[in-house]
Amino acid sequence: MTQIQNDQELLALFKEPATKEQAFTGIIKKYQEKLYWHIRRMVISHDDADDVLQNMFIKVWKGLDNFREDSQLYTWLYRIATNESLTFLAKAKKRSSISISDDENGLSNKLKSDNHFDANKLEWKLQLAIQSLPEKQRLVFNLRYYDEMPYEEMSHVLETSEGALKASYHHAAKKIENYILNN
Amino acid sequence: MKKSEEISVELMHISPALAKIEKVNVFAVPEGYFDGLAEKIATTVFLQQEKKEPFQKVPEGYFDSLSSRIISKIKEEEKSADAEIKAISPALHYLKEEHVFDLPAGYFDNLSDKILNRIKNENGKVIVLNSARKWWKYAAAAVIAGIITIFSFQFINFKSGDTKTNSIVSTKMPAYMQLASHYKTAKEINQGIESLSDDEIAGYLEKNTSILDDEELIKNTDTKELPTPDDYLIDDNALSNYLQKINVESKN
Repeated sequence: MTQIQNDQELLALFKEPATKEQAFTGIIKKYQEKLYWHIRRMVISHDDADDVLQNMFIKVWKGLDNFREDSQLYTWLYRIATNESLTFLAKAKKRSSISISDDENGLSNKLKSDNHFDANKLEWKLQLAIQSLPEKQRLVFNLRYYDEMPYEEMSHVLETSEGALKASYHHAAKKIENYILNN
Repeated sequence: MKKSEEISVELMHISPALAKIEKVNVFAVPEGYFDGLAEKIATTVFLQQEKKEPFQKVPEGYFDSLSSRIISKIKEEEKSADAEIKAISPALHYLKEEHVFDLPAGYFDNLSDKILNRIKNENGKVIVLNSARKWWKYAAAAVIAGIITIFSFQFINFKSGDTKTNSIVSTKMPAYMQLASHYKTAKEINQGIESLSDDEIAGYLEKNTSILDDEELIKNTDTKELPTPDDYLIDDNALSNYLQKINVESKN
């Protein structure tokens, strides 16, 4: 199956045992890149993003039969990816409390351990600035800045009012700008 | 001769009988009918004119391009994230296209197959391990979690003879979390490690290897480089040093 099908078609195929796997493959292929980058920006390392992405799609497989089609598949997938990323980060925080080295914690350190990291380059400063934001604000910023998600859809993903999301995004962008200017 | 007299004479010639009948208006009209009648008629006439040509000034071809203009407006709305960040922070708008993260070539090519295989083999936990470095993070976490867990049981049993109270405490909070608060520095943890026997660590790993894949372990580990039991006896920091060493190697 090479063509990208619409969500309704994919969901209908998923309900039929004979085409279930084909439909699921179609859903993965359609959304894998968007979801991967959404997760990657939250957990930073590729290996962790790969784990979270696979785990979230396994949950999608288990839950898709109960998916209510009155909501969009796209926002539902983003919600699962977001929850999986946050769960992963919460577990990582617990792990860091029993880490041997005090240096081995924090997403900023993960960024700094990247082979291409260059503290003098603006693009890396931007990433460090994003990691300095509170978790929820980081999510809002990433979804708007990179995924260009409309606030209405974002409100379904994060279950927050559009007004609050707009304010959060504005504050996040200003904080990031200040961080870049002062570091 | 007045006009009305002419008309009466004329009628007298035509029909003398009719001319003799008195002119009386037999039709009644509602009271006040003629009050405001002119305005009422004028309004009715105006509205009828409007109905005939309601939108005289619609530009030529307006409806031909309506759908495309609506679609472009929707697209404009979608693009508003771009315009929005430009307004909030031009610097961030500029940085948006700069990508810093790498990912393995062809990663997405077989991702769906990998996930479907995991679903089919759901009973066996599969962890995709791409590097020795990552595996060692799991291994280190498992070892330390084991140490803390074993210690926490020792700690709880030692602290008080009141086993009832201890059991309540230990069910409310995971044991390793209770103990973790007592070890705040690497030195304290290393002191804890000192008192553990190799058998205790090995026993823990045997019971908790569900997240470890033996094949990956063998494949990714150079056993010649591993610290020997003697190394642990000679140097308290043997494990820590080894993990740091392979971490540095994997970065290079």
